[in-house]
Amino acid sequence: MKTGTLDWRQLMVDFRLFGILLLMMVGLTLISDRFLTVDNLTNVLWSVCLIGIMTTGAIYAPITGGIDLSVASIAALAGIVANVLMNVYGLHWLLSIVITLLIGVLIGWVNGVVTTKFLVPAFIVTMAAKTYLFGVAMLVSNGDQITIMQPKEFLAIGVSKFLGIPIPIYIMAVLVIVSHILLKHTVFGRQCIAVGANEVSAKLSGVNPDRTRIIVYIISSVTASIAGIVMASLTQQAYAMNATGYEFDVITAIVIGGTSLMGGNGSVTGALIGAVMVGFINNGLNLLDMPSAYHPIATGIVILAALILNQGVSIPKSIQYLLSCFKPASVK
Amino acid sequence: MSVSAIRRLILIGLLIAIGIALSIANPSFLTVDNLMTLLQEASLTGIVAIGFTLILITAGIDMSIGAVIAITSMICINFISYTQLPAYIYIPIALAMGCAIGWVNGFFITHFKLPEFIVTLATRGILAGLALIAAVKDSQGFVKNVFIQDEVFLAFGETVGPVYIVTIVFFVLAFCTQFFLKRTRAGTNVYATGANPTAARLSGINTDRTLIGVYMFSGFCAALTSIFLSARMMTAMPEFGIGSEMDVIASVIIGGTPFTGGVGDIWGTVIGTLFLALIKNGILKLGLSPYIQPIVIGGIIVVVVVLDVWYKDFAEKRAARSARQKQMQSKEGV
Amino acid sequence: MNDPRNSDVLLECRGIDKNYNGPMVLSGVDFALTRGEIHALVGENGAGKSTLIKIVTGVTNRNAGSISFDGHDIPQEHSKNAAEKLGIAVIYQELSLIHGMSVAQNIYLTKEPLLSGLPIIDINKMNTMAQEMIDRYGFDLKATDVIDNLPIAQRQTVEILKALSNKASLMIMDEPTSSLTSTESAQLFKIIRLLKSEGISVLYISHRMEEVFALSDRVTVLRDGRKVAVLEKEQISPAEIIRLMIGRILTDNESHHQMVKKDGEVVLEVDKLCSEGKLKDVSFSVRRGEVLGFGGLVGSGRTELMRAIYGIDPFDSGTITYLGKPYVPTVEKSIAGGYGFVPEERRLQGIMGGISITGNIGIANLDTISSKAGFVSGAKELERAQKAIALLNVKPARPEVLVGNLSGGNQQKVVVGKWLIRDLKLLIVDEPTVGVDIGAKEEMYQTIERLSQAGVAVIVVSSDLPELTRLSDRIIVLRKGRVIKEFVEGAVSEEDVLRAASGLVEGGAQ
Repeated sequence: MKTGTLDWRQLMVDFRLFGILLLMMVGLTLISDRFLTVDNLTNVLWSVCLIGIMTTGAIYAPITGGIDLSVASIAALAGIVANVLMNVYGLHWLLSIVITLLIGVLIGWVNGVVTTKFLVPAFIVTMAAKTYLFGVAMLVSNGDQITIMQPKEFLAIGVSKFLGIPIPIYIMAVLVIVSHILLKHTVFGRQCIAVGANEVSAKLSGVNPDRTRIIVYIISSVTASIAGIVMASLTQQAYAMNATGYEFDVITAIVIGGTSLMGGNGSVTGALIGAVMVGFINNGLNLLDMPSAYHPIATGIVILAALILNQGVSIPKSIQYLLSCFKPASVK
Repeated sequence: MSVSAIRRLILIGLLIAIGIALSIANPSFLTVDNLMTLLQEASLTGIVAIGFTLILITAGIDMSIGAVIAITSMICINFISYTQLPAYIYIPIALAMGCAIGWVNGFFITHFKLPEFIVTLATRGILAGLALIAAVKDSQGFVKNVFIQDEVFLAFGETVGPVYIVTIVFFVLAFCTQFFLKRTRAGTNVYATGANPTAARLSGINTDRTLIGVYMFSGFCAALTSIFLSARMMTAMPEFGIGSEMDVIASVIIGGTPFTGGVGDIWGTVIGTLFLALIKNGILKLGLSPYIQPIVIGGIIVVVVVLDVWYKDFAEKRAARSARQKQMQSKEGV
Repeated sequence: MNDPRNSDVLLECRGIDKNYNGPMVLSGVDFALTRGEIHALVGENGAGKSTLIKIVTGVTNRNAGSISFDGHDIPQEHSKNAAEKLGIAVIYQELSLIHGMSVAQNIYLTKEPLLSGLPIIDINKMNTMAQEMIDRYGFDLKATDVIDNLPIAQRQTVEILKALSNKASLMIMDEPTSSLTSTESAQLFKIIRLLKSEGISVLYISHRMEEVFALSDRVTVLRDGRKVAVLEKEQISPAEIIRLMIGRILTDNESHHQMVKKDGEVVLEVDKLCSEGKLKDVSFSVRRGEVLGFGGLVGSGRTELMRAIYGIDPFDSGTITYLGKPYVPTVEKSIAGGYGFVPEERRLQGIMGGISITGNIGIANLDTISSKAGFVSGAKELERAQKAIALLNVKPARPEVLVGNLSGGNQQKVVVGKWLIRDLKLLIVDEPTVGVDIGAKEEMYQTIERLSQAGVAVIVVSSDLPELTRLSDRIIVLRKGRVIKEFVEGAVSEEDVLRAASGLVEGGAQ
């Protein structure tokens, strides 16, 4: 974390990522003539947009040394809840969105309190949350794929454009900027990084680690809810399986962006580029007519590779070690 | 009586109480058929949970177990569909595959020092995808429902008297694993590695090897479950086992093995598995929405963990108080 | 070398040299230990005791010299495992015991007795063997007790049993009584004498002179990496040992640091502070511009006291007055009110290694570098960091460098520096110069002196006696959580402090 002047280290990482991104685009253009079409790029944009929105909030958990695996379920639930509020209870669409976001706050608060006050590993708490929230989403929607017919204003969030650019892009852009500023230029951002870097030292310097962490999970949960609302509006659908598996895309994006899962550092811009890459990877698999089964495989491999690279592990050395494991003579 | 013994008694009491309540609510609950099916369900989760208990004792986690079930059942179904090899050749291969996956998990965790959950989440994704690709497909590329006819394989789904073989295997495996943990040096090493890795290393334990071994065992248990599951269903689907890790985690946690490592035993897990299976069966028998199930499983994990921490806090404070009193008394005595 | 008892010599070190890529930590140390003797190794902090132990136990390798143990020559490339096989055991405080396991399991970890011909642990045999051993030495333990439920003293006994089961012929105990009560210590001494009667040698390291005096057959005194003397039983006297440990030829002026009474207003006043099992009726006050030193042995409650007055740990009773007002400390309030706190363990509690100097300094100054709305001014933050760097001469003077990559001395400067740029009224430093090179040490002293001249009240906790006497205007010595002695005015020497800390003061609070 260097402040005041440009962050050269992060810039290098971002720049390197950008280079890989360009290479991917060139590669995809060469592989498939369908890649560089408006239709296809719009498709990529949508998925990047949703992952991007989630990422802006979900990145704080890894920065403090935790993780939030419940974002996908929260997003799905948010879409369903918003629909119920608008179309079953007939609330105004804005009010419905506000209530949905408040529910997001509550979920995040529970996640945060259980991890900090009861010292349960974050991944267990959020994995459990993922499970029960999915159940709640199924229960509320009765497992149906509900088509959202109205109100028009709600549906407009996903489809209408301003200056020729779709609204969700603006939402993502605003959240990225806000999140970036929050992380790099506010007291809260400093506290998050400090808690992730060395909790004891942070505490002795006057930071309240528990409070910081609880806020982190609330932020994560709220951005996931926003993503869920955008998704519901975009797809005109409320469905419990709408975002299934997105948490892995989100983690992949964050990890590609150079954020370690051990805490103490993080880059919102890096994660954004990561989100675009995840979008391209998924799109590339589609364009190559690879079955959707390749998607989790690619994600898994990318996560592992990015984590290992983030740790600064020398690849040749590791291969050497790997080989030595198979040699019967080497007794360690 | 120790804290964990009281906890277990409460659990058994609850188990019986829920059982009685269910048999009053629905007479079809207390039939041999239903109870044996319940035990069979419990055993399928339970075998994986045994492996998972060892993982938790080392303070680790294995999220890939569900995907291991998927991939190993796909391995078997491929052998069945495309080869004439007998079951006693491909079943060991499938089990070995489970061990190999565990080895890979353990390797990444010990060598690259990566968090266990992220490594096993990644392998979970990779294996789930591979299972879909490896699934037997028809000419249009859709997953084909292969009916298993291999009698040796199907025998795994049979019963001895009224009891399913899987239930017998579950209890035998539970007994053996418990014996292994408590009565062998390697088992002791598992506890030591989880309780205090530095001290374990100081005492000459190879903690990396212990960890890799534990992940291999977890993979083995998952592979074993996949065979019983396929034999019972008489087919195998690439979705087998996906998502079952939450059931397993819930069972083990109900059983009283904490995340902090160094503590835990198999009998607790057995009770936890039965408890969870009973609740799932109850949801079914009471005609509740099946969507309640994930809520209950996710909720149980949070509630049990919170209660355990609360109770531990309480017990520790009480112990500290009585220790202080004792010390005071002895001081006065001197 | 020409010791007539040579045949009885168990461990012999000759001409041991050691340097950790820097100044010599040990130079030409000879050391001999006979079978069945209790041998104390004494010296000030930094005299080289731990290094010598580490070399003998194979934790680190020597640069020169030879060691023989029980007739075996120990090669330069020594290892921990090899040392254990030879029969050298170290009794750790509690590091090597496994929680959740029984006494017997801990004793026999990795070498459990097996049923004949089977890879199965014979639990009954293990428990009986353990219980037999326990009974033979007359310990108050059950083989089936779980470690978690035992007090620290008994855990230590388990460590000793573990070493005995390894057929150790030499047991090394490093400050074994630092966390024991006096009854428990007495128990331990009984055990040590028992070991001696079994023909086992004990190498005993302690700062507590009365223990050394009561227990030891011989004493080896180290000073500045050299062996100064070996005292035989009849020569041992606490006063003599302390004289040898300090032993510099000092002018009268130097050896007796003149305490200067400061009469500025009282910044912090602590009255009858009690904390169950840690502190008992601790009272003191510190004035503007005063440097108050806290001496005492490890485990005497110094760090606990500092944590309590800073607001990290709660205390049971007693009052604190800060700047004339009653004060219930919390970390946040303390920082806002003008406290600074430099914790004892730099790497674990002080620095955030993965973060830049700017970030480390900024985190304690968020109030001064941010707006009311919570936005951090990067320019202000950088300016603060540069100010701290300049004030303390941190090298390299580049704010963006990760603190984890700095030398120990510079890391400590960052930890101190983050407080210096604040409106500081009270600075608490706990062991400020551990792991810091000599140059940085001197700079640290000058910084503290500068602060006191500027009117800041400074509390220094240190085990380094020259450091304590040099810096302090007043010294309070703690022992077992109580104030045992306060050196207020006039002359004080390192010897005086050491005597108080190690329990040789007559009429203390005990």
